Amino acid sequence: MDVLGFYPMWYVPTIGSGLTIALIASIHVMASHTSVGASILLAYLATKAYKENQPQIYNYIKKYLLGLLVFSYVSGSISGPGIWFSATVVNPRGISALIHNFVWVWAAEWIWFVAEVTLVYILFYTLGRIDQRSWLRLAWTFAIGSWATMYIIVGILSFMLSPGHEKWFETGNILDAFYNKNYFPHLLERTSFMFAIAGTVGIAIASLMRKEINEKTYKDIVKTLSYWGIGGTVFGLMFFAWYVSTLPQRSDIILNNVIPIYLKLPIMVIILLVLANFLWTAIRPTAARFWMAYPIYILIFFAGIYPEEKIRETLRKPYVAGEFIWVNQIVSRDVPAKGIKSEVPIINEKGLLTVNPFVPEGLKKITPENEIMAGKAVAVLQCSGCHNVTGSTGLRPFGQKFAGMTDPNAVYNFLVSYMRENHPPYMPKLTGTDQEIKALSAYIAYMISKGGSVSAKIEVPKSSAEAIRR
Amino acid sequence: MREIVRWFLLAVLPFTLVGGKLALAADPGSMLKAMADPAGAPFFPVVMQVLQVLTWALHMVFVYTSIGGLFIAIYGFIKGGERWHRLSKATIELSKVSVSLAIVLGVAPLLFYQVIYDPLWYTSANLSAWWYVLFIVFLLIGYYFIWGAYFMKEKPSLSLFMSVVGIVLLLLVGFIIHVVNYQALFPEKWVSWYTSNGTTMNISGWNIYAFNIFRYLAFLVFPSISVSGVFLMLYNWYFRNREDMDRDYLDWAGRVGAKFALYAGIGWLLFHILYILTIPQDWNAKTSIFTWLSVLGLVLCAGVILAAQKDPAKMAIPSLLAGGVAILLIAVFREYLRIASTARFGYSIYNYKMNLEFLSPLLFFGTLLTGIILYAYAWWMAYRAGKTPKGKVYEASEMEHHLGDASVFIVVLWAVVFIGVGLIVIVRNYG
Repeated sequence: MDVLGFYPMWYVPTIGSGLTIALIASIHVMASHTSVGASILLAYLATKAYKENQPQIYNYIKKYLLGLLVFSYVSGSISGPGIWFSATVVNPRGISALIHNFVWVWAAEWIWFVAEVTLVYILFYTLGRIDQRSWLRLAWTFAIGSWATMYIIVGILSFMLSPGHEKWFETGNILDAFYNKNYFPHLLERTSFMFAIAGTVGIAIASLMRKEINEKTYKDIVKTLSYWGIGGTVFGLMFFAWYVSTLPQRSDIILNNVIPIYLKLPIMVIILLVLANFLWTAIRPTAARFWMAYPIYILIFFAGIYPEEKIRETLRKPYVAGEFIWVNQIVSRDVPAKGIKSEVPIINEKGLLTVNPFVPEGLKKITPENEIMAGKAVAVLQCSGCHNVTGSTGLRPFGQKFAGMTDPNAVYNFLVSYMRENHPPYMPKLTGTDQEIKALSAYIAYMISKGGSVSAKIEVPKSSAEAIRR
Repeated sequence: MREIVRWFLLAVLPFTLVGGKLALAADPGSMLKAMADPAGAPFFPVVMQVLQVLTWALHMVFVYTSIGGLFIAIYGFIKGGERWHRLSKATIELSKVSVSLAIVLGVAPLLFYQVIYDPLWYTSANLSAWWYVLFIVFLLIGYYFIWGAYFMKEKPSLSLFMSVVGIVLLLLVGFIIHVVNYQALFPEKWVSWYTSNGTTMNISGWNIYAFNIFRYLAFLVFPSISVSGVFLMLYNWYFRNREDMDRDYLDWAGRVGAKFALYAGIGWLLFHILYILTIPQDWNAKTSIFTWLSVLGLVLCAGVILAAQKDPAKMAIPSLLAGGVAILLIAVFREYLRIASTARFGYSIYNYKMNLEFLSPLLFFGTLLTGIILYAYAWWMAYRAGKTPKGKVYEASEMEHHLGDASVFIVVLWAVVFIGVGLIVIVRNYG
């Protein structure tokens, strides 16, 4: 029997399994950008404290470091592997493809990751207990090491969107994959914005300490953070424009025609708000207030990072990795350099249900008795990465997409003409045998006739299961 | 505390009853072969395997001190009194830092493992997908409770409460990862589990299919207490010469640690042997040298710790080394079990398809070298700072300043090379 390397499918009705990645990834981006940005800002401030003999700056640094430990390093270090964990169950073949290409690169990042976490503790515990020069060195190694985690992961993230060049498919060279077309704009954009994020929370922390440190030092700290924040925001916008110019064509189409305005607009608003806050505190450092800076910091998460993560995931479609694995886990094209073959022909010939080892025997051969359940299995396996396939609410639901279509033939005609022969650039081509597409059509017509919502449970009709046993 | 552990285990034991009879659709051998990533491994699988074993052992040391630190803290809070309270505060601190280290050090073994055992890991994780995601959620909440226990350490009842919630969540997290690792060892059951013997598809991700109480106790619970006991001996050894520390207290803490290490070590050995007895016959693992070396490692470790009872501070380093050897041998044994299980279906990582390349391993080993220099400097300075009495500043020697300069230089150099190579490649490909 022909078997392809599919894994057991996980389906989360309504919200979709992918939401777990979006949520965890957003937490991680917030925490990691805060900590990497802060590592450089704090090293700079420590240098200032040492050179200008302003020991009170160290009090500020100590408080910021504690904040980093409690917030960024708890949530950041757990949500980092969390992205990996959620990707493992949402799209195992996608994450596997990345790991099999970039394992050593990730392992190199891990060296910096360990350095980052051990150094933040060491810096916190040794501040004021070792001489300033030595502490400063540790602070700068921490800063550069922290940034290293970013400039390593950005290469892999960029590859997920696109290898950027046809060359990689032929050479398989890790350098071609990693340093792809949007690597530098992507890195510079993140690097810039991270100063704005770390600067915003830095001002919130400083404003809490206003009475603990003398006015000159206080102003110095707030001004420094504001200048870095202004620079980060302005350069971030410039590099963002560069980043957009390096997007693959399909992503460009998605960005302009598919991404809703309610995701784009908040990002622009929050960037302007962050910039306005920095301008204000740069001019009048004593006007910095916790109740102003901290809510802005929290808003960065909801209005900036979460929508940005959602957009970034959507721009990648229909792929999840390197333009050869679709979001539904099917290998969609050959990668000659790696000996990878497209699975589309075999799925079209034998059937998706047949080649997936985790489909029960009683659904592999489609009969009038099992047609609806087989169709539901096809929907779950092939469509649930982006759609709620059993309801009318939540993630691009079938109940709405096919509203009113209770005739299986009408659904079939739509699927074949629109999804198989002329599929939109952001969706994978519908694969499988004609019989499977008919079963899928029958299931969709059935669920619409039931009001657009059915149970997610897949049951093999007894007659089919018994027929197999016989 | 015992009650909590008992109830926790009683709650998880019913999961062992879930499962199914053997009913195969595709044969496990061809399934495993098909699941191995078509991209192949980018380097010799044996290197991945060795790195996986080594980094797992390192990761587990801090997993053990995360859980064991909390266990001793809870024990101390319940015992009451000044010394126990002081010890509880110290072990909460140990647990707090250990969780961070356990998390970061846990990345590497899972990374190397997924390159060569992808069919096992992805299948097992997806069989219990919700639990796998909840691992992260529970860990996050648990870690915040541990931080809470740390901030509330001057209020024993509150700190005790938070430590109990923290340890329950860490044990739950350990339970989930145990389940995923254990289910992975039974490829012949995956399809029947997932399809409930061909009647459905368990797409909800809420099912747990296999659990082995002995493996859980032997690989996680008992070693946690034992290894944390050894860390108390190290605590005694490290601080006993510092003039501002109470030596009587430290010696007492060392003796308490040695006792924990010994008693929990005996439990560790016992459950390890019981686990070995539950390994299925057809794996041919019970008579393997790797199996019995792991037992020998534990016996050796117990012997050293027994000898350490008289003077824990003096024997702290030998106990650490013996514990390290025991954990390493268990790591080897644990890896051997995968080989034994998958060999039944003709799967061998040594036959994993390879797309050999040398650039990215070069990047890794170069980074490792950079990291080692950096770690050496940073840890050495932390060590010296810890030896300095409170209120005093440690002044680095000339030699230490040179090492510091070298570590900054090499970190900067690494960054320059990394970015520089990127620029060259971009210009070559897109210029």
